[in-house]
Amino acid sequence: MASLITCPHCGVRPKEEFTIRGDASLVRPAPSASDEAWHDYVYVRANPRGRTVEHWHHVAGCRRFLVVERDTVTHEVYSVVDGATAAREAQR
Amino acid sequence: MVRDYNNRHALDQKLRGTPKPAHVDHLEVGHWQAIATVLAHAGLDAAVQRALSSTPDLSLRYCGPGEWLVVSQVDTPVGLMRRLDMLCGTQAHVIDQSDGRVLLRLSGPSARQILAKGIGVDLHPAAFALGGSTNVLCGHIAINLSRTGEDIFELIVSRSFAESLFEDLMTMGRPFDLSAAFSE
Ligand SMILES: [Zn+2]
Repeated sequence: MASLITCPHCGVRPKEEFTIRGDASLVRPAPSASDEAWHDYVYVRANPRGRTVEHWHHVAGCRRFLVVERDTVTHEVYSVVDGATAAREAQR
Repeated sequence: MVRDYNNRHALDQKLRGTPKPAHVDHLEVGHWQAIATVLAHAGLDAAVQRALSSTPDLSLRYCGPGEWLVVSQVDTPVGLMRRLDMLCGTQAHVIDQSDGRVLLRLSGPSARQILAKGIGVDLHPAAFALGGSTNVLCGHIAINLSRTGEDIFELIVSRSFAESLFEDLMTMGRPFDLSAAFSE
């Protein structure tokens, strides 16, 4: 696993300071969406090989939620951004 | 029913007894201190930081975006709260942490080597400059680390983790003959 994460607020930190909080690419369905759509959103997860986008919580540092894009095969980290920044960009 | 609560320091058990002379590498624990958390309201990070850093005897410790621990050597806890409320009362949440946190001051020529055993951050002056501060993991305990001198670091830890951190630090400092005592 990627062992060094460059937090936008704290700098380069070991992965022990973080907790991984799951897939960051999921989009919450509309409240009126079908049961299948909700079931998929809540329970069904891929176990991807390669590039993934995840929420990482910097619990022992700035305590911000970050969006980390990394590779599960090569352990390369492509980008780390603050969750609020990522959400703002997604809205555009 | 009336109860009496004794205000006991978190490290009283550890540091009881007659103070021994400090060695070259020394861990100093303040008997009392004034510490507060300041969390800026959304969008007011810069304004709050400006207000806080305009006051010379408040020491700011960076925790995260818009969040600081403020340490004062000259105020009482109540005095610090009053001062912070006046400085940024409408722009930030201010919470007294004087009894909630413990401040440990590690000093001496081996301070960096001792800390490097538990901290995954580069402590070379070029990377962690004088006056710098950050939240970081020391072993398995989350602390706020700050460099207050060339060879002086201050660690702020939650009260309930203080004994554990103290023991860890003494173990880390054993090869360097680290001593510990309450400050005068
Ligand atoms: Zn961080």
